[in-house]
Amino acid sequence: MKWLRASHDFLSSSPSQALTDIIYTPDNIRRQGRHVWGTIFSEFLNSRELIWRLILRDIAARYRQSMLGYLWAVFPSIVTVIVFAVLTQSHTIHIAETPLPYVAYALWNISVWQLFAGCLTGCTNSLASAGSLVSKANFPKEALVMAAVGHPLLDFMIRLVLVTFVFVWYGVPFKAQMSFVPLILLPAILLAVGLSFVLSIINLLLRDIGNILGIALTFAMFLAPVFYPPPTTWPSSLINILNPLSPFLIASQDMIAHGSLSQPQAFLFSGLFSVFVFLVAWRLFRLTIYRVAPYA
Amino acid sequence: MPKDVLISVEHVSKKYCRSLRHSMLYGVYDVARDMLGLDGHNDQLRETEFWAIDDVSFELQRGECLGIIGPNGAGKSTLLKMLNGILLPDKGKITIRGRVGALIELGAGFHPMLTGRENIYINGAILGVRRKAIHRKFDEIVAFAELEDFIDSPIKFYSSGMYARLGFAVSAHLNPDVLLIDEVLAVGDVAFRLKCFNHVRSLVQSGSAIILVTHSQNDIARVCSRGIVLHHGKPLPAEGLAQAVRQYHELLQTATRETRDQRDTPVRVTAVRTLDSQGMASRQFRSGEHVLVDIHYESRISVDDCVFVIKLASHDLGEFVSFTNRVSGQTIPISVGSGSIIVRLRNVPLLGGNYIVQVHMYDAGTKTFWDQAVPACTFDIIEPDPEIWKEFHTLRIEHDWLINPRFSS
Repeated sequence: MKWLRASHDFLSSSPSQALTDIIYTPDNIRRQGRHVWGTIFSEFLNSRELIWRLILRDIAARYRQSMLGYLWAVFPSIVTVIVFAVLTQSHTIHIAETPLPYVAYALWNISVWQLFAGCLTGCTNSLASAGSLVSKANFPKEALVMAAVGHPLLDFMIRLVLVTFVFVWYGVPFKAQMSFVPLILLPAILLAVGLSFVLSIINLLLRDIGNILGIALTFAMFLAPVFYPPPTTWPSSLINILNPLSPFLIASQDMIAHGSLSQPQAFLFSGLFSVFVFLVAWRLFRLTIYRVAPYA
Repeated sequence: MPKDVLISVEHVSKKYCRSLRHSMLYGVYDVARDMLGLDGHNDQLRETEFWAIDDVSFELQRGECLGIIGPNGAGKSTLLKMLNGILLPDKGKITIRGRVGALIELGAGFHPMLTGRENIYINGAILGVRRKAIHRKFDEIVAFAELEDFIDSPIKFYSSGMYARLGFAVSAHLNPDVLLIDEVLAVGDVAFRLKCFNHVRSLVQSGSAIILVTHSQNDIARVCSRGIVLHHGKPLPAEGLAQAVRQYHELLQTATRETRDQRDTPVRVTAVRTLDSQGMASRQFRSGEHVLVDIHYESRISVDDCVFVIKLASHDLGEFVSFTNRVSGQTIPISVGSGSIIVRLRNVPLLGGNYIVQVHMYDAGTKTFWDQAVPACTFDIIEPDPEIWKEFHTLRIEHDWLINPRFSS
């Protein structure tokens, strides 16, 4: 009987393809049952092109009215690293020995940190800054959040050019294992997008989130092994676990300096946790976007 | 669902919150409940909440165009956003068959720094059109928007009309089964609006179902086959387009009457009504009949020369004609007490529609303004053939047709 009805629909529609019914009820998003992930992924596949377009739009528009253009991706890191290099060299602050020459070490870490912070800030503000697009157009809104990864990712790649020069200058040997670094950073980006799925929704209701996030990230940067090597004594070694980015930061440092992981369990656990956060938050995002769309 | 029904709306309601503070609280609360998978009790009102859409039901078939009219804040846009899937209903069910296009926000996702060309692809992607499909239609879109010379300029240099034209052109080339339009046809110059209307009409003819939200009686008459009047979120029962339009006019009149000036003045208009040529009170006339405007006033002073100004207005045009005894050279004296004046409008050359009478009174000598009745009353010109609305506008001008004339010059 079901099949009969389906074929009937097929015949009745004038274009060559069958028309599908879309149904909106108060709880049909919530009651999708076991089809949830199928719908989520097929919609994601359909919106690949949209995400790519939004990424291109943001990147193209960002530096169009700017003389220095993409150099803006590296200036902030250079300035911060110079400040810390001067402070350590003049022994104003004392930092234990780092696995890489200090400037190379700090530059790599701040690049990774800014990738994570940039994704988190950009994705969290993506809905609020899209404005009426959220409240007046129908398309998968997670595309806006995901596309906000594009710009910090491009900036990171530009910084990689600088990082390469600095590594050569300080004689950091290049190893084959360095090619695993993208795999280490991927869960960190998923974590940032996952957290942003929830934060961007709350940010539409309470715009404080955007401001709080800025302060929290500055604070969190000093609670991660960015400008100093991972602490080994308790309780300061807690920051290696408590800051969700620390395990990825440490893993990438290990890979570059030694070619192996010093804390594989911590990395594995954090990686799985990030994927879990990402998937759950994606589902929550789709549940609640209808509620908050009018506030955009 | 029957096979030709493309839109089915069953007992749909949506609530909104008056106070921002409460709405933020409720928002956080509802989001938290959704995230925890708890029932949100969507169907009950909380403090400061109200039904922005209250139990609306209708069906729309292929080739039909439904006009949704109503005063500001009646819930028209909310209904359209639910049909487009941006908001979910709090009660009821909406079923839509086929590809949905929406002209709610023209140029969704346009970035001012980027060129028209780049923005066409972005807008298309947001509307769900593949790059190849846009590529194929690109020249057609640019030609429709009449922007050949500006397509590679950043759109922040575009005028608002050019911006809207580009937005409409992209959306218009989607070939949707269901098209939702929210008052966006009011943009651009007259020529572009006509182009938009023709496009919408051709979509209806090719079998799309269209919902049009508008304020304009002429828009409705031009393209719609049915009408729904929304008032405080509720649909008014109406049979046929003409009755829906009349109901809308009545709503507008009650709304404006409440704002009438109540200040103290020595001379006051107390009542205004329309009479037929026999002197019987009437509100409905045929085109070409006499319309008598019967004005009653009260005065605490006596005046030698009083000026009456009568204005006629329509809902689309506003005030479009006025006349006064000053121009006719007629002096009207007023004595203490009450009195009345009748103005006879001979062979009124108006076409079908609802017209508003306004009366203003002032002293010819001192120019002291006394009173106005805006609107004083309304009357209808009944047009036996409603089709005539589609091609004719307001005034019946006496005219002749001369075919292949030969004038000796």
